[in-house]
Amino acid sequence: MSILINDSTRVIVQGITGRIGSMQAHWMLEYGTKVVGGVTPGKGGTTVEGLPVFNSVHEAVKETGANASVFFVPAAFVLDAFMETVDAGIKLIVIVPEHIPVRDVMKMRNYTIEKGVFALGPTTPGVLVPGKGKMGIMPASMFKPGRVGIISRSGTLSYEFAGILSENRVGQSTVVGMGADPVVLRNLADILELFEEDNGTDAVIVVGEVGGEQEEKAAGFISRRMSKPVAAYIAGRYSPQGKRMGHAGAIVRGTSGTAAAKQEALRAAGATVLESPIHVAEWAIKHKLS
Amino acid sequence: MRLHEYEALDIFENNGIPVPRRGIASTMNDALHVAGQIGYPVMLKAQVLVGGRGLAGGVRTASSPDELQDVAEAMLSSDIKGLPVLKLLVCEKVEISKELYLGFTIDGYSGKPVIVVSTEGGMLIEETAKTSPEKIASIHIDPSFAFYPYQARVLLRRLGISQQLITPWTDVIGKLYNVVMRYEALICEINPLVVLPNGGLIAVDAVLEVDDSAISRVRFPLPDRIDRIENSLERRGREIGVTYVDLDGDIGLISSGAGLGMASTDIIGEKMMKPANFLETGGGITADLLYKCMELIMMKPALRAIFINIYGGINPIHEGAKGVARYIKEHKVKIPVVAKALGNRQEETWEIFRSAGVHVVTEAATEKAIERLYELVGRG
Repeated sequence: MSILINDSTRVIVQGITGRIGSMQAHWMLEYGTKVVGGVTPGKGGTTVEGLPVFNSVHEAVKETGANASVFFVPAAFVLDAFMETVDAGIKLIVIVPEHIPVRDVMKMRNYTIEKGVFALGPTTPGVLVPGKGKMGIMPASMFKPGRVGIISRSGTLSYEFAGILSENRVGQSTVVGMGADPVVLRNLADILELFEEDNGTDAVIVVGEVGGEQEEKAAGFISRRMSKPVAAYIAGRYSPQGKRMGHAGAIVRGTSGTAAAKQEALRAAGATVLESPIHVAEWAIKHKLS
Repeated sequence: MRLHEYEALDIFENNGIPVPRRGIASTMNDALHVAGQIGYPVMLKAQVLVGGRGLAGGVRTASSPDELQDVAEAMLSSDIKGLPVLKLLVCEKVEISKELYLGFTIDGYSGKPVIVVSTEGGMLIEETAKTSPEKIASIHIDPSFAFYPYQARVLLRRLGISQQLITPWTDVIGKLYNVVMRYEALICEINPLVVLPNGGLIAVDAVLEVDDSAISRVRFPLPDRIDRIENSLERRGREIGVTYVDLDGDIGLISSGAGLGMASTDIIGEKMMKPANFLETGGGITADLLYKCMELIMMKPALRAIFINIYGGINPIHEGAKGVARYIKEHKVKIPVVAKALGNRQEETWEIFRSAGVHVVTEAATEKAIERLYELVGRG
């Protein structure tokens, strides 16, 4: 089994006519994802990668039975497209773009909670179920089917951890990018909960980084609710204070958001704290996850 | 983008928040002139964008022109936490009967704006939260709702604020909230918000950080974002569209993601080497961009090696490799270059790197690549 993507997931690509949207639609199809169409207002009636393009999400849902959507929409238009997508009844939304104003993200998040939608991002590589399908930009060659779940704030580090596991014959059940912005559409603890309940997942890896308090809050969930082993890595121990390290959310302010504080909270909650990504291999072998 | 105090004070004033009389000075003579107009005593405040400025000698008083000359001259030739003091804010020294705190921030976890008030102004709010949490009250705002004055009144009553202070304080909270909305603020703070002997309020300090992702839609004038980056390498990074953070080592780094870049600097540090920089490209790699990234990291003198760590998810890494190879050939780069590049079109990418003499590591773990780097150049 897996989380978020399953056999009945039917994906539309919003912004499919753009350079990145069409390229990524190609890679998603090649990976075996059930992509059923795309949406770009004003480009309805055309096709991209053999997929029908619609003017609106409502139309796409009506014609294709889509129930999931992945965004390659320019940041300035994401809020509008997101509201349209929720209103069209889509229940799983992945927001790949970065640089979306925080105020827009707060409105989007509020609306997903009101409408019972599960959304990931912004600034996420998406979600991938090895051998089944993917929504987003994760490079397929890094992943192998198996029973370890990965949740990562960073896209590139989700590939790194999956790659190290795959090299050591440890497969993944689902790999989830939660997004790297100061406000994300779903918190780390919410995604941990899905893995805890998934009978195809035996253990979970949390890949965090400096800034914010996602990892600290997740530590509370881990100590209260998680029965499965959790390993955690926090990037940014050498990050200078007050500098944004590429991600909008990756900033240490004074004594808050430091790698040390996050490691401490996770360790106290019973998670295994990894000092370097490569140590994930030993951890997985010790827990007989291969 | 964090604004300077003097810029934020101007914005506060334009939005009706009471602020002290003041002027900006970049020379001792300017400072004398401004102080003469305001009248002594005056406060002199270094305009540098670092926290803990007061404790580092960045806020001082002058009671006479003589004293001002000494103080201003000393401040203008000093630096605070490594940043040179180029400008001084000279402002009226107000009479304080009480210091309060008023701040706006975003609670990342709940995804909501939050307004924080405290009866303990003039100190770090994080400290007050630890030592006397009963002196702080906060309220979350519904992001698709709005802020109404009654919320401020409820908040202030919770802190036991007297009725005569509730009215002016509620007024300032409403005006601060307008600033937040107009300027897409992530952080907006008045610390201290001073109660004058006559019962009026005045914002003696101003913090305003604008959401970088929203700058293009702010309809009010803002200072140039690139101009104000004081480090020339970091400024160049912003110009070419990457995040560059200057560090004090000698191993150059190019990574295609923020997490990967942070992990790379961490592992380089663990191996007793020192990163010269953090650089992450985000999803915009082209041959030209990586050529420019090579140019940028090579501006740092005495680099001993270069580490390139990139993934082909959204990025065409084979294109990026072409830019690196071209730079190496054109500039006859002699220091070792180690590259780990995985994902879409990885084999093609490795070929291009190898043709330029780059040491290619094909395992997933960054640790392996940095071990290779260590074999090549050692601790230094």
